[in-house]
Formats: sequence, C-alpha cells, structure tokens
Amino acid sequence: MPELKTVPLAEVSAKPKKKPFNVRKHLAHLFLLPAAILYGTFQLFPLITAVINSFYSWDGFSRDTFIGLQNFVTLFTESPFKETFVNAFKHNWTFFFVNVCTELVTAYILALIIHSRIRGKEFFKTIFFLPKLLSVIVIGFLFSLILNPTSGALNLFLKSVGLDFLAQPWLGSTDTALLTIILINGWAGVGFSMLIFLASLQSIDKEIFEAAKIDGASNFKIIFTITIPMTMNAIMTMTILTFIGCFETFELIYAMQGSSGGPYYSTDVLGTYFYRLAFGSVEGGQSIGLGSAIAVVLFLIIALSTAILMIYFKRKDFER
Amino acid sequence: MKVKQFLIWGVLLILSLAIVGCSSKETSKEETNNEGKTGEKTAEKVELTMYSWRPEDRDMYEKAIKKFQAKHPEISIDFQPYESTEYNTILSNALVSGDGPDILQLRPYSGAKTIADSNYLLPLDDLKEIGNINQEYLEAAKGSDGKVYGVPLSLNSGVIFYNKEIFDKQGIKVPKTWDEFLAVCEKLKKNNITPIAQSGRAAYLLSMTHAVIGPDAYGHNDFVDKVTSGNTNLKDPNFVETVQRMKDLEKFFPKDFIALEDNDAQTLFYTGQAAMYINGDYRLATIEGTAPDMKIGVIPGFASKDGGEPVVTTWVDGSYAAAKNTKHPEQAKLFMEFLASKDFGQIFTEESNRLSAVNGVTPKHPIVKEIAAAAAKNSTPYLMLVHFGEGEPTTKTTFENALQGMYLGKLTVDGVVDEAQKNAERAAKK
Repeated sequence: MPELKTVPLAEVSAKPKKKPFNVRKHLAHLFLLPAAILYGTFQLFPLITAVINSFYSWDGFSRDTFIGLQNFVTLFTESPFKETFVNAFKHNWTFFFVNVCTELVTAYILALIIHSRIRGKEFFKTIFFLPKLLSVIVIGFLFSLILNPTSGALNLFLKSVGLDFLAQPWLGSTDTALLTIILINGWAGVGFSMLIFLASLQSIDKEIFEAAKIDGASNFKIIFTITIPMTMNAIMTMTILTFIGCFETFELIYAMQGSSGGPYYSTDVLGTYFYRLAFGSVEGGQSIGLGSAIAVVLFLIIALSTAILMIYFKRKDFER
Repeated sequence: MKVKQFLIWGVLLILSLAIVGCSSKETSKEETNNEGKTGEKTAEKVELTMYSWRPEDRDMYEKAIKKFQAKHPEISIDFQPYESTEYNTILSNALVSGDGPDILQLRPYSGAKTIADSNYLLPLDDLKEIGNINQEYLEAAKGSDGKVYGVPLSLNSGVIFYNKEIFDKQGIKVPKTWDEFLAVCEKLKKNNITPIAQSGRAAYLLSMTHAVIGPDAYGHNDFVDKVTSGNTNLKDPNFVETVQRMKDLEKFFPKDFIALEDNDAQTLFYTGQAAMYINGDYRLATIEGTAPDMKIGVIPGFASKDGGEPVVTTWVDGSYAAAKNTKHPEQAKLFMEFLASKDFGQIFTEESNRLSAVNGVTPKHPIVKEIAAAAAKNSTPYLMLVHFGEGEPTTKTTFENALQGMYLGKLTVDGVVDEAQKNAERAAKK
C-alpha cells in the first residue's frame, strides 16, 4: 500500500485558480465521439457535399465544371423540370394535409379513447403500434399484394360482398394512387402519434378533469377547452414531425411505385424526383448536380417551414 | 481553462482523424502488398477483376473463363457480379475512386458513351477479333469520339411470345403483319381470352411493346436513318401512327393493366388467361423456368407487307470494356479478344439461351435459333433505347411515362408525341 500524502489545505487554497484537471468531466466528451463521428460522416458530410455538388454539372462519373446557381435556375425555369417540380411539390403538400387530417386526427381520437377508462388499454395500444414495427419496404410490398387489381385481397373482398363498383385499380389510377399511399402511410404511423398524444394526455392532472366535471362541463366541452389546449405541445410536435416526414417521404412510394412516381407522375414527390435525377435509371438519365439542387431546395423547404411552424406554435403558446 | 478545452477537443479531433486515416492506410497497405505480390508474379500469373451486373450468369462465365485459361493459363479472371439495380452506382464509385476493375460491363448506347467520354476506358478499335461483330452493334459501345470502347456481348430482341395451345385451339395462324395481328386479337377477345398480357405499372414495358409493334408502321430503318440524321422527327405522321397503334391495342390489354406488374402479366400468360406476352427474348428463360410444360412460340416481328420477311427489333444489351487504369492492359486486351471470339459467343449462347453479338454463332435452343435467324435477315434497332436514351430524364423515359398518361386519359396520341419530341429537342441541345 503506498502511503497517502497529506497535502496541507493551505497549499491547495493558495492557488484557487488552478483546479485539478477534471478528467471525469471531459471523459464524457470522449463518449460523445463515436456518435459525433457517425453524425459527421453520415449526416453532416453528405449534406455539405450535396450543397457543393448542386453548384456543379455532373453526369454521374465526373464532377465537371462549376456552374454556380445554374442547376437551380434550370430547376425552376426550364421545362420539364419546373413542371415536374411543381407537381411533386404539390403532392408533398397533399401528403401533409391529408396526413394531418387522417393520421393525426385518428391518432388523437384513439388516444382519447384509450385514455378513457376502457378495457384492454394495453392490448389496443400494442395493436395500433404494431405497424410501426414493420419496415416501410415490407409495408409497401404487403399493400402492393393487397391492392393488386387481379389477385389482391381488397378487391376480392369488395367483389365478394357485392361492392364491385368500389373495386379500383388502386395504385394504377391517377385519381387514387396518391391518396392510397398516403392512407397506408398514415396506417403505419398512427400508433406512434397515438402514443405521443397518450403520453401528453396522461400528463394532465386528473383533478382538472374532476373539477370540470363537478362544474358540470360536458365531455365535449372538456375535450375542446381542457384536453386539446393542454396537449397543444404534443399536437405541435406531431404536426412538425408529420410535416418533416411528409416532405422527406420517399421509401413507401419507392417501394410501391418505383422512382418514376407513377402512374404518370401522380405519386411523384420531391423525394422520388430527387432520386430519379440524382441516380437515373439503369438506362441513364442521371444528373447528380440537378439532383443535389433538389436535395438542397428540399432541405431549405423543410428547415424554413419547420422554423416558421415552430415560431407560430410558440407564439400561440405564449398568448395563452 | 479555455485553452485546455480547446486542446482536448483538438486532440479528440486529431484522434478521430487518425482512426479514420489509419484504417484507410491499413487497407492501402494491404493493397500495395497484393499488388507487389502480383507484380512479382507477373511472369507467372496475373489476376484481372471483372465486373458484371448478371450474378445469374456466373456458371456461364466460369465455363468461358476456363476455356480462356486453356490458352492463357497465366491469366486468371476474378468474376465479380453485382445486382443489376446497384451496378451503376458501384461501378461509378469504383471508377471515380480509382480502384476499379480491369474489365467492366458497359450499359449499352448512352450508358457506354458516358463512361467512355469520361476517359475511363481503353479504345479497342485495333482489337484482333473486333471484326467478328457487326458495325451496327458496335454503336452500342462507342464514345462521342467514334472510337469503339467495348465488345458487345449479347443481343436482345423484342418479341411476342404466344401460347401455342390457345392458338391451336382457336385455330389461329401465327400473324405475320400488323393487320393479321389485329385480327388475331379481335378473335381472341371475342372468345373471352385476353389477347395480350400487357402490364403498365413499370412504364418501360409500354415502350417495349411499342418497339415491337411500331417499326413497320414508321418504316423500319429508313425512318431510323431519317430521324437520326435530323431529316424528320418524332412528329412525323408515321411515328404518330405507331403511338396510335398503342392506343388501338388498349382494348386488347387486361383490365386495369396500368396497375399490373410484369409478374401479374406473366401470370396471366402462364395460366392461359392471356394468349400473348410481349417482352425481350431474355424472358424466355423465365417463362420456361416457371411454366416448363407450356408450349410457347414466338412472333419475332411484323413484316411490312403480306408475304414479306419479319423485321426483328434488336439491341445490344451490354458490352465488356477494359479500364484505362488497369495494371495489365495487355492481358485485359487478350481477354477482350476472347470475348469477341466465336468460341466465347458459342459458350454464351448455349449456356444462356440468348443471342450473342458475335457473328456466325448458332444458338441451340429452337426458339432462340428462330429469332437469331430472323434477326440475321432483317433487324431494326430499338429506336427509343438506342437513339433516344439521352437527356435527364431520357426521352425514352419521358415517352413511356407519356404512354402511361395516354392510357389514363391524361394525354392524347399527339400529346404523347409532343412530350417525347420536346424532351428529345432539349436533350439534343445539351
């Protein structure tokens, strides 16, 4: 056993500025390193390269020449790029609005029901959350099978119960394809939103509800004057997350309709448009420069809109 | 304190860079070691890496490589196939990073041109055996400078497969012209058999059908020459006629065919619900694999007039090229010569039941033989793929998506032609 040296207190306090180096404190930084490296390589680095690439013309093999903002000009002024962009952009908005109206509203209602005293809460919670556990690609594949016009379960079911007129080529018609995919997307995500809403509902003090009931408020009134305002934070968070999700959306559409956003561009969103331009097809048609320009625009749209949404919600929050 | 923090962050940053750096150094060390080894052994043994997008052809290549090694035992070939859908990305990354393969498979036409123009390939004009391949096919592997950069491997043809049993039962004679074909379709439809198992969810199958039924309406190679030399364009009434034909065929396609996948269409064909199926001849293996008992025949193309010869739509599917920065250009060229030889062509066609691009190779399979014989007499290029494969998006893509739009009631026949022509003009400007 080494002898312990006793350091006189005076010696330590004589140089109060020179604290011993706190290894523990900085050790924490070391633990952040792996995450920081991963984040840097897989998030930050690609983001920065995408911005740089968007200033170059690039056919896929070599980054040719610096062309400044030409890719952006092409994207917004030249046919068919501008039409395709506007078309895809509109679809992203449709995706968002329909998603909010269906997925979020349903999720909220489900959360309210589960929050009320029904039996089998846990069971329903699990059931609704289950689709979230499936990979998007699996969901896309499953629904492609279900919606198949000749052998799909949905149309067979509709026909067997005499609703032949409702049997549609769901994914093969410009009228139904996008809506179908949005609803599938909502189906897959509703459980997650429901859990967030449920958590928020459970954080409200029960006494408030009791007090309201004693005062004779109807259930309807309680929901609109107490529950919704008090869960506004969760609603705000979910709206923003949905917004980001809807503008980034790609996998499900790609899994079900490929990158062409078919039929006839009716399910084309900025994500698929980006993919087509940046990676082309087996036969060519690749332009990484233009693709990167879309990626940058997409990033700006999401970043700016999210900021605006957050400021808007925050203001509303303060007013209350 | 701030200085210290700064120092710590600095150290961490350097550490992280060092970790990344070390790992890449290690690999590069290994590489040089390997190179050193192979370098020493040059006299004895050289290994060439070969990229392909057809993992399913491994057996065929192994046989072919054995044959090659019988003459050149000092050269071994490392066949590295990748999934077709991933291939372009893998190849471009490998080429750009500089440690690409020695031999690589080239996508035809504009795909090959892009790589050749980026200066990644060795010109092969002086290759001994290159004369075994038709000039027309060499077009698939040329750069903008007109030099040949690849040895075309296989030819694809767009054909109409038909169910022999259905044709026999209905007493249908195999149609030779468009008018006869329409009559056959009418008859089948009357008897409640879907005439053509067409799918439209993946739009490329629409332009495939167009490539098979169109050429005799626009006048085969005369039109191709005119359109490539700029003497006419897609708005030519003869070309418009081909799109009108596509429109006319709609009633012979399955219900909701735009929602059908190729698999669904094939199922209709296998189960006898549909009598014909249009696709590349490479589907033959799929059909025989899935429905081995089915008796199928092939309509290789239409003749312009009654009694004329059918004209087959053919195109080169892929070529092999030698990378410019290969360490062993001599050996790579030896292998390229082998790929252009009849020996290889014969192995290829026998093993894969597909058409070889090498002249004078005779396939074994009767159907492949029939197509090859017809193609040797009269062939026309897949117009959209061969001459309209440029631009972002390509005119071919625009055209087939527009066809989808036509079937969905979004575009007229002229609208389809308009969209395609506009895109072609834009692509030509670049």
